[in-house]
Amino acid sequence: MPRRILLVCVMVALSALCRADGGWLLQQSTLTYHMSHPMHQVDGVSRAAKGKGACHDGTCDFLIAAPVNTFDSGDSNRDLHMVQVTRGAQFPMVVVRTSLPEQTPPSGTIFADLEVQFAGQTVKYNHVQLQKTISGNEVRITGTIPATCSDFKIDPPSFLMVPIKNEIPVRVDMTWRPM
Amino acid sequence: MQAMLNRRTEMLKIHQRLGLITTLPMAAAVITGPMAKAKGRNGQTITEPTQANLDFHAALGGLTTVLYGATAYYAIFAPKVPGARRRGAIRLHRALAFVHGPGMIATPLLGAMAYKQENAGEKVHGLASAHGTVAWVTVAAYGAAIISVSWPIKLKF
Repeated sequence: MPRRILLVCVMVALSALCRADGGWLLQQSTLTYHMSHPMHQVDGVSRAAKGKGACHDGTCDFLIAAPVNTFDSGDSNRDLHMVQVTRGAQFPMVVVRTSLPEQTPPSGTIFADLEVQFAGQTVKYNHVQLQKTISGNEVRITGTIPATCSDFKIDPPSFLMVPIKNEIPVRVDMTWRPM
Repeated sequence: MQAMLNRRTEMLKIHQRLGLITTLPMAAAVITGPMAKAKGRNGQTITEPTQANLDFHAALGGLTTVLYGATAYYAIFAPKVPGARRRGAIRLHRALAFVHGPGMIATPLLGAMAYKQENAGEKVHGLASAHGTVAWVTVAAYGAAIISVSWPIKLKF
């Protein structure tokens, strides 16, 4: 009996903590980083991101996370090297947090302040331009995060002694559905 | 795990550098191979090379073998990441190692046999006569292995 009371108390406490006006769930996503070298142009793709959005008082807080080792550039050797230079064994996730007003235009350009945790560093990208399109009850968000190696204190990997470019833009394509 | 990845990258970087350095004596050895023949009194090519020619070619071959061995060491003993499946160009790069690896063992052995036969005043014969062919196949596989991990090349500055 005391266990049941305790369980009810925990459930009530959790429901109070989780109380939200609404929420969003990441249905599918494609995150693509682009790496540029005088001899090679490489794209690494991850479709393994998970994400949730919780809305309170007119603002929605989003959290998106993807394991670093799920980015596939088509070459396992390069991918392992990427995990090494980004300290992926120590910091295995790339996490993005942002807040958006609950009411945004149904379609068109929106601007978001993104906080990105990656390679043991936290970097803020303000006023990132994203495109929003609605189809049915799904919302598609696309855009590019202007990431650089130096932002995250990553030593640019080199090939034939020539390092890659500092810019590693990450293209984001996400489809969200209300919970 | 991070320490293991760091060590792996460090060893593979040395592998890459040594591999590129090895191409220099290797190229020189295959170029000097056919030159290891002497000129006759009337200007015609004779099959007996001079000692200097042979020694120079053998020294280049020896240097190539030592550098190749060091290059292979850093690839073979680089830590393997558990559960990592090989995808992409690295598969062809590894497959070609099964061609140039035995080739790099056979070439100096056949070269030594040919050298002995030359020094004994004999015309190179038997297995030793395959020295040049084996060397060229080895060089071709080695070159292809380097290109395989550099491909596709998309120049953009």
